Amino acid sequence: MSQKPKFAAIAFGLSIGLTGAANAAWQPAKPIEFIATAGPGGGTDNFARAVQNIITKYKLVEQPIVVVNKAGGSGAEGYTYTKAMAGDPYKIVFGTSNAWTQPMVSKVAYNYTDLTPIAAMVQDEFLLWVKQDAPYQNVQDFLKAVAAKPAGDFKMGGAQSKDTDETLTRMIDKAAKVKFVYIPFKSGAEAAVQLAGGHVDAHVNNPSESIGQWKGSTQRPLCAFSPQRLPDGPKVTATQNWHDIPTCAESGLAISQFQQPRTVWLPGKVTADQAAFYVDLMKKVQATPEWKEYIERTSQTDTFLTGDAFSKFIKDDIERTRKVAADEGWLIAN
Amino acid sequence: MENLEALVHGFGIALSGNHIFLMVIGVLLGILVGVLPGLGAPNGVSLLLPLTFGMQPVSAIILLSSMYWGALFGGSVTSILFNIPGEPSSVATTFDGYPMARDGRPTTALATAFGSAAFGALAGVVLITLCASWVAQVALAFGPPEYFAVYFLAFASFVGMGGSPPVKTLVSLAIGFALAAVGIDTVSGSVRLTMGIDEMVKGVSFVVAVMGLFGIGELLIAVEEEFHVKAISSKVEWREVFRTLAGLPRYSWALLRSAAIGCWMGITPGGPTAASFMSYGIAKRLSPRRANFGKGEPEGIVAPEAADHAAGTSALLPMLALGIPGSATAAVMMGGLMIWGLNPGPMLFVEQKDFVWGLIASMYLGNVVAVVLVLLTVPIFAALMRVPFFIIAPVIVILCTVGAFSVSNSYLDVMLMMGFGVLGYLFKKLHYPLAPLVLAIVIGDKAEDAFRQSMLMSRGSLGIFFAKPLVTTLILLGAALLLMPVIWRTIARMMQGSQVKP
Amino acid sequence: MVSGRSLESATALITGAFGAAVAVSSLDNGIGWSAAGVESGTFPFIVGLVILAGSVFNLVQGWLHARAVVLGPSELRRIALLFVPAAVFVGIIPLIGMCPAAALYVFGALAWNKRGSLLVAALAAIGSALALYLIFEKTFQISLPRGVLGALMGF
Repeated sequence: MSQKPKFAAIAFGLSIGLTGAANAAWQPAKPIEFIATAGPGGGTDNFARAVQNIITKYKLVEQPIVVVNKAGGSGAEGYTYTKAMAGDPYKIVFGTSNAWTQPMVSKVAYNYTDLTPIAAMVQDEFLLWVKQDAPYQNVQDFLKAVAAKPAGDFKMGGAQSKDTDETLTRMIDKAAKVKFVYIPFKSGAEAAVQLAGGHVDAHVNNPSESIGQWKGSTQRPLCAFSPQRLPDGPKVTATQNWHDIPTCAESGLAISQFQQPRTVWLPGKVTADQAAFYVDLMKKVQATPEWKEYIERTSQTDTFLTGDAFSKFIKDDIERTRKVAADEGWLIAN
Repeated sequence: MENLEALVHGFGIALSGNHIFLMVIGVLLGILVGVLPGLGAPNGVSLLLPLTFGMQPVSAIILLSSMYWGALFGGSVTSILFNIPGEPSSVATTFDGYPMARDGRPTTALATAFGSAAFGALAGVVLITLCASWVAQVALAFGPPEYFAVYFLAFASFVGMGGSPPVKTLVSLAIGFALAAVGIDTVSGSVRLTMGIDEMVKGVSFVVAVMGLFGIGELLIAVEEEFHVKAISSKVEWREVFRTLAGLPRYSWALLRSAAIGCWMGITPGGPTAASFMSYGIAKRLSPRRANFGKGEPEGIVAPEAADHAAGTSALLPMLALGIPGSATAAVMMGGLMIWGLNPGPMLFVEQKDFVWGLIASMYLGNVVAVVLVLLTVPIFAALMRVPFFIIAPVIVILCTVGAFSVSNSYLDVMLMMGFGVLGYLFKKLHYPLAPLVLAIVIGDKAEDAFRQSMLMSRGSLGIFFAKPLVTTLILLGAALLLMPVIWRTIARMMQGSQVKP
Repeated sequence: MVSGRSLESATALITGAFGAAVAVSSLDNGIGWSAAGVESGTFPFIVGLVILAGSVFNLVQGWLHARAVVLGPSELRRIALLFVPAAVFVGIIPLIGMCPAAALYVFGALAWNKRGSLLVAALAAIGSALALYLIFEKTFQISLPRGVLGALMGF
């Protein structure tokens, strides 16, 4: 935590930069590389490409933009690469909260303090899903069934190990005094298929990862880990839309909020002007109708955190994750 | 019959001048990315994806899937001509395709490959047409223990044959497993075997290993042994293309068997790579000409190509029906589907009939277009074999270098590739087999993940592999394949023994 | 002159060293069974030991049974003629960038063989660099390495 002052200084620099963003002194003079820390087709890749499409469409930047996928090592490849590019304002890395959670639990060669935070642009939601023909209609029934069986009989599928899905599973363990066996798969899509086949009992996928399965009546959500219900919208199934799904807190599972931010970073050691340019750019992207359309299509929640708000968010998230990780013995000695 | 009606309707949608034009464009671009090592269908698909946003979803998916067909065909070209497999699934094609091309018959080798590939692809599409919904159900029956059993089956059918010294085979296989384990481990999330190099966290890419082991390694063998490609007549050999195609029915048993293996592995999570290896392994055991395998035997090209394409085609079905992308390309296409407002999953077949059946119809047409175009290119590619070695050698080195670099824009990969080149030369020179190493790199970590996921589910009991009929059958089948050579030998010895006795 | 014995031994030593490194570095990940299932080092550890044991076997076998000479002076010369320029090409990429390095490599290879004039070699060199640029950089948007030289010139 010795890096804290440096981080605060960058955030401070950002907020200064922000006020003068309109006449930012710095402009890109050569092609820009967007680094997606996920494979083609993944949530982070779609995020990076959505931003690229909007910037290109509105010509928000004169220079061409190239998206590069560096998905190796659950995203560590992309962050490690960006760390090595310190001072280069033409590399923008797109990720999630794994920028700060991954270094806590595995021996990767970067930390989020090696990067310059730009913004958290959108929050992906989590829901608790069970198989369509499962006997339980609500979270209470489900948790009772889990508690009735010996510990470890219920299997929770999820994407990756010691990442958001497993953290959330362990939080459910605590909140409901149960014990799931967590089975890590490569992606949320894989976990969804395993649930449809009855090989696991539940998973905590994002809406976009399981909407097709919900529509097709192979699985259904029990509750959403968000402070209020998801926004109203068109019906997903014959009778329900996202808004009809209760929040977990209101249905008696005391986890009021768990979200996955989609984050944007520059390499370390860039100037405040350069960072301010990209903060401003992302703001312009966020104001377009195409951005709204992207948010709605993927059922995510619009948000824009930058500067102090973003650093506070990171700090809170680290605190929460560290608690879970410490209890589970995941923390690695640094 | 309902499906056939829907298919006819689908043809009505797919058969328009506009769509045929898109198919031609897609196939040609696909052949280009397939031929260039390092680039693959995912590059092409992500390049085209932004262009398709203005199109009708049917037109867009026709363009993208045509590119997929083109890339599948193109990937075999470099395997046969230069021993450089562009995609994991064309590795098995090098075993007999390259010796045949070196023997002065590149036209025959290419035409055989394309002909059997087309047969395999059509078998896959027919399967999709006739039993789409049933197939989707089969795929759902596969949990981690079944995944493991399928990978075990693939290894069992391939390893345990061949004339290489057994211990060298074992070392080669184990090195492949170790390389597959480099990077972040899915099940525990921890970093493994990076040997102090931070960048290794991304793992060892199959493409990098194969460019070095096969491409550069073969180049070194070629200069050292100073072989000369047999003179090829400079005439464009159209007649040879047709003669080869007309002769393919001789291998109808091999074609059918390979297509069946391919369809099976495409629906189950085995995928095209495992399918082509497995098909080659089984052909080598069953063929009456098994002694010629590895020396340019046509059946050794037929088997992996038909299985590869059957698997590649039928693998699109789980993507549409279940939303599991079977490959990187399928993942990009799935991203595209969502952008067009379609959700892959069980409802796609009900809600988007036009789209789904238009796509299936375009698979028939796209494959026909792809075969015709690719056969037209055979003489051009075959002519590459006439380029003198001192020109082609630097070109291969440059293409392998750029290819290795473009996998993840990394210079480290280029150096790794050169290292693999030296290793490939040594291995080939000293009769270490390379195929087990490659198979282990491609499916080794998946097999390990599936095993450990199963162990989590059963809390450490191996009984999970004998808990359900499906998984037990697969495991027993694998064990039988593994033991078959031993049993054959014993039987043969006993027979000989009884003959000697009067 | 390289004997079969030394080639076999060298290869077995390389694979053996790799196996040992794999086994040792897997110990860091933990081997055996824990609350989180099979630990992540277990499988690579076993694989490492298999490689090591197999390499020892191959070392002994190679020493006992290898052919006397496998590579004579002319073979070695031919290998060097291919491998050294290729290694130099790869080596200068970080200095001058991919496209210029490829151009130099092609030019060198053609000029060395002295078939056709230097002008043809130069044209082929420029042509291949241009083709690389157009196909990879322009069409498929893969940014090839610029090298130190490229950075100095401001690309």
